[in-house]
Amino acid sequence: MEALPPPAETAGSAASPPLGRRGLERLDLMLLCMEALDSNGGEAMVWMSGQLGYQERFPNRVELWKRRCHNPLRRACRRGQLDGGDSEALIHITCQLADRLYPLLRSLLCSSDPPDLIEMRWNLFRLRLGELLRQRMNPRRSGVQALLAADTGQGLVRQLIQSLTLAAGPGGVDRLRASLRDAVA
Amino acid sequence: MLFQSAGMKQTLQYDQTSCRLLVEGLPDVSRGHAAGAVGIITGWRIEWLGRPGMDGQREHLRALLEVVLPYARYRISGVPRAFGAEDDPVRIVPDGAERHRLLRRGEEGAAPQELSLDDAELADLVQVLDRLRLDPRLQLEADLPPSRPLTVRELLDRIPLRRRLAAPAGGLAALVLAAALGSLWPAPRPAGSGSGPSASPAARSADDGKPRPAAPPSPGAAPVSRPGSGS
Repeated sequence: MEALPPPAETAGSAASPPLGRRGLERLDLMLLCMEALDSNGGEAMVWMSGQLGYQERFPNRVELWKRRCHNPLRRACRRGQLDGGDSEALIHITCQLADRLYPLLRSLLCSSDPPDLIEMRWNLFRLRLGELLRQRMNPRRSGVQALLAADTGQGLVRQLIQSLTLAAGPGGVDRLRASLRDAVA
Repeated sequence: MLFQSAGMKQTLQYDQTSCRLLVEGLPDVSRGHAAGAVGIITGWRIEWLGRPGMDGQREHLRALLEVVLPYARYRISGVPRAFGAEDDPVRIVPDGAERHRLLRRGEEGAAPQELSLDDAELADLVQVLDRLRLDPRLQLEADLPPSRPLTVRELLDRIPLRRRLAAPAGGLAALVLAAALGSLWPAPRPAGSGSGPSASPAARSADDGKPRPAAPPSPGAAPVSRPGSGS
């Protein structure tokens, strides 16, 4: 594995402004997508946070889960804004995990593979993502309903996967950070 | 990332799954470049697995960076926006929901080059260009703005025009309907009048077919005329 970049703490990330509601939703949904792709995704996140030097910030799964619970779509949603340093750490973890899972993410978007194989991959992925969404998200929220709906869900999930592929690689952190701070249209 | 050297000529190679970018050049000794650096780019080419690629000169490589990376920035936010004008060396335009067309202008009679990329190939190309951009050996001054959050106006591009126009068109239709209904609503009649045709007992009886007794005129009431009633 390539050497990981230095921890984000050194880049003055604690001073970065907190993410907005939409940004938190998208960030947590991206992490959820990677959990759906990797059955050991929860452990991989803790391991990756350690690799990036965030042991003190996220020493275990519970601390990581508590930060992710700032997502307003969660069943057990926490009030208040996520600290700027925490959101920066989550962005770095997301990008590194996207880099690690890049072959899987890419295989979902690849059009040169046989269509039935692509469909099978998507069906499996959507099945697991649907289970995680029903388990952890508030089904009364319109955002969750849209993700679970047959007509709108496919497009929204595909957009999340495409965002993850573009968040991988050396320039991914800057792109994802800027994207999560987009204005609300 | 590989590096090959043949004499003074250097070749930088960047690989990502289906995409390989090769940049050939020489160190610009007049600017004090080290032996491994590439300051004078003599050519580059992108090779794709099982399909024709694209090549060009220094200005094309710079243009490629300047259109593809901002395009990826907008794409990560779900905004399909073309980058590069018709007469630019390279441009990229969305081609439907899941494909992207990369066009390189032809030079001196050469045919233009065109590539149709899917989302996976676009991601490969972006990774390769990110590595190229951050490679300290390559001396290429590209005009790349830093990634910044998109404004509401920029984000509106991701909403189809029909959906964007639905709300204002619906509001306008509701306003026109309300105005039409309002114009059909009868004006309040005067409590008692003797001058206007609508106030006469005959006219009233013609309205509903039943004769009604006239109300006694009040001393302070002035006759009210409706606009366009002919009074």
